[in-house]
Amino acid sequence: MKLLVFVLNKEEFLEEVLEAYVEAGVAGATILDSEGMGRFLAYEVPLFAGFKEFMKGNKPYNKTILAVIRNDQVVETLKRLVDEVVGGLDNPGTGIMFTVPVDWTSGLVREEEEV
Amino acid sequence: MISLRSILDPACVVVDLDLRSKEEIIKALVDLLSAGGDVTNRDGLLHDVMAREALAPTGLGMSCAIPHAHSASVLCTAVAAARLKFPVDFGAPDGTPATLVFLMVGPKDAAGMHLKLLSKFARFLHDDAFRDAVMTTADASSFAELIYTRDT
Repeated sequence: MKLLVFVLNKEEFLEEVLEAYVEAGVAGATILDSEGMGRFLAYEVPLFAGFKEFMKGNKPYNKTILAVIRNDQVVETLKRLVDEVVGGLDNPGTGIMFTVPVDWTSGLVREEEEV
Repeated sequence: MISLRSILDPACVVVDLDLRSKEEIIKALVDLLSAGGDVTNRDGLLHDVMAREALAPTGLGMSCAIPHAHSASVLCTAVAAARLKFPVDFGAPDGTPATLVFLMVGPKDAAGMHLKLLSKFARFLHDDAFRDAVMTTADASSFAELIYTRDT
């Protein structure tokens, strides 16, 4: 079992990304409003205000999607579908996806009830 | 990360500087750096530092300030430091005027290093014991040595 974390910088793709989650077999996910460290430092901490020019072209806010994944195949399918939606996560500023092992859970949808 | 010993020359440290305005202090620190030979245009550097000051305050709080700029008028990253005889307002969020002032400058293409260095100094200055030591140290040479020692 894994926790899949996806920081989606291109928020305009959220709807299509979630469709990709469903298609790949992710039964549920949590979506958080988030923001990049660079934006926070440059705009909220006066000492770093001089670095605003380096934020040009960067997305200030993003969405972080958390999902517990039981089957590794789901991650592979999802990665392929998400790449199609956002144009490839290897492109800078698109998003970051990673997994970490999960050794215990409670409250998940039962496997037999997953879509 | 570059060592602070290589960017802070003890000759660019002054203690008990008797100046009463932010502009005068920044000018004095720019002049210290200019004397070192890494500044190609003293007036240009002063302009860039003051322009950065106009953007947002560089007072860190806790009686410290880190005025800074990346500038086409310097060849490499350099720091000058002053302990003031009388505290001067640098617009710190906690309202405390600054007694310790670190001027940090670097070339425009070294923004990443400038950012790391700025964060490093901010971290040092959040340390009460370090700040107290710098506030009470005897002279410029021991002031610089405290910084080198902290940078380990």
